[in-house]
Amino acid sequence: MIDQTNRPALPIRDVSGRVSLIFMVTLAAALLLLGRAETYVVDQARQIVTDLAAPLLELASRPVSAARRIVESTDQYAYVFDENERLREENTRLLAWKEAALKLESKVARFEALLNVQVDPTIDYVTGRVVGDSGGPFVETFIVNVGSEQNVESGQAVIDTDGLIGRIVATGQRASRILLLTDLNSRVPVSVEPSRARAVLAGDNSASPRLEYVPTNIEINAGDRVVTSGHGGLLPPGLPIGVLIQTEDGFYRVQLYSTRARLGMVRVLQYEFPDEIDLQDPPAILIQDADAEEEGAVVTDPVSPGGGT
Amino acid sequence: MSFEPIGPTPAARAGKLALLTLPFLVGLVCVLLSFVPVSAIFNADVAPAFGLMAVYYWAVQRPDVFPPYAVFALGLLYDLLSAGPLGLWALVYVVIYGVVLTQRLLFVGRAFTLFWAGFLVAALVSGLFAWGLASLYFGQTLSPWPVLIQMAATVALFPLFAKLFELLQERLLVQG
Repeated sequence: MIDQTNRPALPIRDVSGRVSLIFMVTLAAALLLLGRAETYVVDQARQIVTDLAAPLLELASRPVSAARRIVESTDQYAYVFDENERLREENTRLLAWKEAALKLESKVARFEALLNVQVDPTIDYVTGRVVGDSGGPFVETFIVNVGSEQNVESGQAVIDTDGLIGRIVATGQRASRILLLTDLNSRVPVSVEPSRARAVLAGDNSASPRLEYVPTNIEINAGDRVVTSGHGGLLPPGLPIGVLIQTEDGFYRVQLYSTRARLGMVRVLQYEFPDEIDLQDPPAILIQDADAEEEGAVVTDPVSPGGGT
Repeated sequence: MSFEPIGPTPAARAGKLALLTLPFLVGLVCVLLSFVPVSAIFNADVAPAFGLMAVYYWAVQRPDVFPPYAVFALGLLYDLLSAGPLGLWALVYVVIYGVVLTQRLLFVGRAFTLFWAGFLVAALVSGLFAWGLASLYFGQTLSPWPVLIQMAATVALFPLFAKLFELLQERLLVQG
């Protein structure tokens, strides 16, 4: 060894080292057993450590995202013409969709007004950046740089530009943890469109979560769209999640819209279950509209409503 | 017993302190690094177990300044940050550290390839051990692929980090 003066002490240190090694193994094993109970102390310790590490992680993730942008933009130079062509085509298609969406929007607004549907209150959101990547091979979580200072709370849904990615499971002051849909512990009530079959999306640490408790009396097919159902009141209904696929052994899985490798900015939806909202009146414009129609006595005409308004 | 004839100078004391905490600090940086989405640069989704590299390297090179409780602390930090089972990686790190300690004379002062091969075995064993523990903890057979892929990436990156650790070690050994 380099330190000559310490040489005679080595055997003693060796013994004490062995004792402390055994002690540490026992302590770790004890923690593992204790942690099964998911106590308050453990949660708090996690949160404090995450809160402390978040600024460091954020600092470290900046050059990473800068480097990623450079790599992405060099990638894009190679495909810029193809991409442009593709976008033009897509734009043409989307314009047609926009027309259809506008027509439907006004139609739905009229129907809602006629039926006096209680519309969900608008959902506030806060945008944050993913600063900490997945927590090792057995856990699928992210650390995002918004916390209770931005009114982020446990249970809130987190989306990116493509769809739902998960929900908040723990919040600190400036950092929160997102449990991804793919995590082993993730269970989300979903509905399969267009049949509106209810099911539970259960993560299993693989890229495509399983669909569980699928009703047998409703037909669902691979390729159907899966969205949040809103049952349970935790997540807002109708958030896009992914596309239904059927595995070789006959089970249903969901291919998620959001691929986690692309994650950067995410949006935390501050949805509150509308259990105590006041009775809403239909929007003023629609009331005027309805009045006008009553005067013209064409209320029952099925052709005239629809596109116009 | 030999006694130090004169007390160490403050500079030597600072150097000694740096040497005593160096493996732990390097491990700390490594553990934090494993939560930075580095692989996102290349649109990949692998987070190499940098902490394991530090544990293995210092267990072989300088176990005298890398005591078991430092290893435990690193593992615990990893567990707390990862929101996984508390104590899982702490246990894996400490056990691997203990195993490597018994075999360290195989690697000290030998060719780097042998050192690297040793890490391959250590990474594989700790990966499978962690997988077994996690499967027991969650009460179901988890897919072993994520951890195996992680360990493959870790082994592939090991030479780079071993060089970095070596530079640091040489720097501080001169001072210490």
